[in-house]
Amino acid sequence: MASTSPILAARSVTKTFTAGKGHDVVAVDNLSLEIGEGEFVCLLGASGCGESTMLNMFAGFIQPTSGQVLLRDKPITAIEPRCGMIFQSYALFPWKTVRGNVEFGLRMQGLPRAERRDRAAAFIEMVSLRGFEDHYPAELSGGMQQRVTIARLLAADPEVLLMDEPFAALDAMTRQVMQEELLRIHEQSRKTIVFITHSIDEALILSSRLFVMSARPGRIKAVVANDLPTPRHMAVQVSPQYGELKSTVWNLIESEVRRHAVEAT
Amino acid sequence: MSDLARHERPAGVLSAEGTPALRAVSPAGSRNNRKSLLLPTISVLSVLSVLTLWYLSTERGWVSPVFLPKPGRVLDEGIANLANGQLLTDIWMSTQRVLLGFLLAGAVAIPLGIVMAVWAPAKAAMDPFVSLLRPLPSITWIPLTMLWLGIGEGQKVAIVFMGSWIYILLYTIESTKRVDPLLIRAARNLGASDLHVMLHVILPGALPGIIAGLKVTLAISWSCVLSAEMIAAQNGLGALIWQGKDWGNLALVLVGMLCISIVVLLADKLANMLERLLLPWERHQRT
Repeated sequence: MASTSPILAARSVTKTFTAGKGHDVVAVDNLSLEIGEGEFVCLLGASGCGESTMLNMFAGFIQPTSGQVLLRDKPITAIEPRCGMIFQSYALFPWKTVRGNVEFGLRMQGLPRAERRDRAAAFIEMVSLRGFEDHYPAELSGGMQQRVTIARLLAADPEVLLMDEPFAALDAMTRQVMQEELLRIHEQSRKTIVFITHSIDEALILSSRLFVMSARPGRIKAVVANDLPTPRHMAVQVSPQYGELKSTVWNLIESEVRRHAVEAT
Repeated sequence: MSDLARHERPAGVLSAEGTPALRAVSPAGSRNNRKSLLLPTISVLSVLSVLTLWYLSTERGWVSPVFLPKPGRVLDEGIANLANGQLLTDIWMSTQRVLLGFLLAGAVAIPLGIVMAVWAPAKAAMDPFVSLLRPLPSITWIPLTMLWLGIGEGQKVAIVFMGSWIYILLYTIESTKRVDPLLIRAARNLGASDLHVMLHVILPGALPGIIAGLKVTLAISWSCVLSAEMIAAQNGLGALIWQGKDWGNLALVLVGMLCISIVVLLADKLANMLERLLLPWERHQRT
């Protein structure tokens, strides 16, 4: 990944929010990072460490106060459909069926109806929701809804998948299934994925590299290469290598969490 | 206003009985059955006892027929007016005026409301007029509309229009503003243009609220047409009631009032059916 130019990059990015009465909050402070094509990276840190702010800047929802976010060396200055976002709260269109939701991006691209149907069907199949095409989101469970959002985004075919704690609202078992499915999807599509999580285990199971972030203001505290063997089934998760990596990461995060906790009280 | 309240109640507060999905899976328990029979029975008994009281009080002379006609008189009056076609003509005339004024109000207020909700300058331009017009009851427009439009159909429609459009406008603005901004963001992230966001997100997102507003406004439209007809009209239910009053025929007045209730109730039922047809996704709300 070091040999090719990065697909996504942040260069000295600072983002300040005005919290009223001239009270400014620095969410991200002079942060730089590079993400290579096809990588699966996790942003890991205590909540409120500016990780969602970073993701929103990559999607073009917000602009940095100073510095630049780049997609293939071009600054991201408006909402960028090539960086597709998976929201924690799903953000499915309640008035569209599963098929209507999955077809949405294709429809925006002006694809003819028949082709839209076929492509959507393939992605609905991919996330194991065949037979639910005509259901409305409200009729589905949380895990199923999140799979619809993944199918909807993959059908729109962005170059980067930005995922903001996508599985946080799911129960532990559904979460594990979804993690495995996401890895399978990454394997198949080779898309670049930037994934926010507060779970070290989730980060270790999913990522090829993880960025440990410091608590407010958000900075990169460390970049940890994750060379655990794949697939990362139970056997890997109980291996000494896994435990070592986990404690390394925990040591990096612990002081941040404690600092944050003290500030909060 | 009860329709609005129902529309805005968060899904989590919905009772188990009100949830179609839950009702479908729960076995028809004997307790449920007994409860579902008990409440309608109470309603029927309540109506019967009021009717009986009415009958007794007029039959025994506790109340003078000058103040309250006998139920039989009202029935006769209703049948007579049905038979000579007068009642149906009046119902149809009023309905026609309501529909014209109401549809016209919707055609103006819904697009205007959406524009005002998404484009601040439009709202700034319109807000002073909305504030001035809102407190005015529709009957205050009767002198001006008569001067401008005479006492024909146009004037009645104008009264309905003036009494209805502001409410539709306010409901439309409110429900358009309440469309989840996250959905708009998601749509743009999936490549939607401004027009696509409007067609696929803002319009369907605002639709349930707009329809709830239309339902509330429809009843208001009816009260507008009735007051207009009472003041100056040859026909219509309002005119019928006023005739009854002028001729000292209280039975006719009651027939007119009853007709209004029935027609507005039927209109509400029809609106509910249309609502279910237009909002298929709302039928499936789970808790």
